[in-house]
Amino acid sequence: MAGVAVPRVSADDRLRRLLALVPWVAAHDGPTVEEVCARFGCTEQDLVEDLELLFVCGLYPYTPDVLIETDIADGRVWIRYAEYFSRPLRLTPDEGLALLAKARTLLAVPGSDPTGPLARGLVKLARVVGVDPDEALEIEINPVATEVIDVMRRAVSEHRQVAMEYYSFGRDSATSRVVDPYSVFAASGQWYVSAFCHTVDDERLFRLDRVRSARPLDATFAAPAVAPDLTVYEPQPDDPRVELDLEPAAGWVIEQYPVERVEDRPDGGWRVRLVASERAWLERLLLRLGRDARVVAGPVGAAQDAAGRLLSRYR
Amino acid sequence: MSRLERLINLTAALLHTDRLLTADDLHERVPGYADDRNTFRRAFERDKETLRDMGVPISVGPLDPDDPNALGYRIRRDEYYLPDPGLEPDELAALHLAASAVRLEGAGGVEALWKLGGAVAEGGPVAELAALPGAAHLVSLFGAISARQAVRFDYRDATREVDPFRLSFRNGHWYLAGLDHTRGEERSFRLDRIVGGVTRVGEPGAFERPAVTGRQPPPWLLGGDEPVTARLLVDADQAGWAVSQVGPTRVEERRPDGSVVLAVPVTNRSAFRSFVLGFLDHAEVLGPTELRAELVEWLESLCHA
Repeated sequence: MAGVAVPRVSADDRLRRLLALVPWVAAHDGPTVEEVCARFGCTEQDLVEDLELLFVCGLYPYTPDVLIETDIADGRVWIRYAEYFSRPLRLTPDEGLALLAKARTLLAVPGSDPTGPLARGLVKLARVVGVDPDEALEIEINPVATEVIDVMRRAVSEHRQVAMEYYSFGRDSATSRVVDPYSVFAASGQWYVSAFCHTVDDERLFRLDRVRSARPLDATFAAPAVAPDLTVYEPQPDDPRVELDLEPAAGWVIEQYPVERVEDRPDGGWRVRLVASERAWLERLLLRLGRDARVVAGPVGAAQDAAGRLLSRYR
Repeated sequence: MSRLERLINLTAALLHTDRLLTADDLHERVPGYADDRNTFRRAFERDKETLRDMGVPISVGPLDPDDPNALGYRIRRDEYYLPDPGLEPDELAALHLAASAVRLEGAGGVEALWKLGGAVAEGGPVAELAALPGAAHLVSLFGAISARQAVRFDYRDATREVDPFRLSFRNGHWYLAGLDHTRGEERSFRLDRIVGGVTRVGEPGAFERPAVTGRQPPPWLLGGDEPVTARLLVDADQAGWAVSQVGPTRVEERRPDGSVVLAVPVTNRSAFRSFVLGFLDHAEVLGPTELRAELVEWLESLCHA
């Protein structure tokens, strides 16, 4: 046994690895120990133990002629006489789903090559899973400008400050900011950059589709030792709520918005409660719903105010 | 004798055989089981469960047509063997990168990549670039989609029976699209609004998925309204975002102050109105006159509500 404390993999995990490793090694002419360990994520010690175990496995009556033969010599590995393990086990639905979903997500990154190795690999993988990748699975991440995501990703890797024009959707206002971008990532269908913002002197998450322009600066910054744990907005208990009466035609709101409570109204339609911490967000919803919604608790004049402001552009 | 060794020998015996093997055959052929019959049965049941949990397709069948209690076991090779996808090294490396850079909540680790020939990415750990939330029923629905088998579940007010076509992740949520048998048309269901479980009904391979033609068009092109090309002025602040939504080919004019005029074809006027209203007072419908008048009328009705 190895002297260092390595987390022991369970017998199930070892079996999964063996059932994949045996066909691969058997199909190659003595691959190196190093390569096998790298491909299958194990140490040389693990590999030796696995091969010793395989050496006594095989078919009834377990005479030498029906046992699996394994051999390590000169840093190379051979496995023979395991023809029933000539192919790995099929992908389970969750394995197939996870790989396809991940590949599709990466292909949704602006600037990714739609005919590159990932796209080709995805098509081949989908075929063995038994689905058409374009038809069975769709991952939509709100598009952002390739220039913006490129500037941010490069700035993250070079620890370079960025000057950006940022539009705050909730407050409906634009600001110029200098930020130290820590990481770029997609979550909940949106692209974000987590950064230290010098304007507010604190760490913030910014949605990349709201970055109007981004320009790398010469100044660099020291990356934090521990990445800040910023999370995408989640409603807090003390965020303001609004209650709306919805007509039947506005039922889609219940599907598409984070509705906390739904009650059927006796005259048809629903009364719903939503988190509405930002005024502009509520205005958009009410303007779209028109007369199919009415605020019954919260800012009752929000729709009229917003409609009046918009109308002033048309007069 | 380790359990792992026993599981390997059991899998080998079941894969190698061309006929069904009885429990007694396996008791005799696979070393490592207790001699006692009851102890053997319990261990054998547990082993079968372990293998099935991993996805090993152990089939069970009657040995004798006249005796439904006499069962035999085997693993059919065509059900076990992963067909070779024929991945090139760069394709496998790209898939490996995707598996590391994207996190799918609740999804397993690297076993799928082992089956495809193992990890071949170079360099150190990959920074996570994207996270997808998981959802209840995601895996079982994907299984039903790839098997082309109908599913039944409770959704809001009713029990639905659906031919599952497609899973979509949109606006931060997972949706299932499929043919709703009761309503006789394609519907979308949000996975987190499914109540209780999802069960498969009917036979696999029961339907053909309809072809999806390219990218889903924007909502303002999904309708039967009289086609019209709207001219929309968007202020500088929101111009970049607006262009990313309608596409750069729709830009009619870029003004010196940074604002843009977009020419947007519309066949669904209420969807277009929603799009425009999302800009609040940072956008203006310039024409045609009737479209502008419709929007003014909508806003006026809100003012007087």
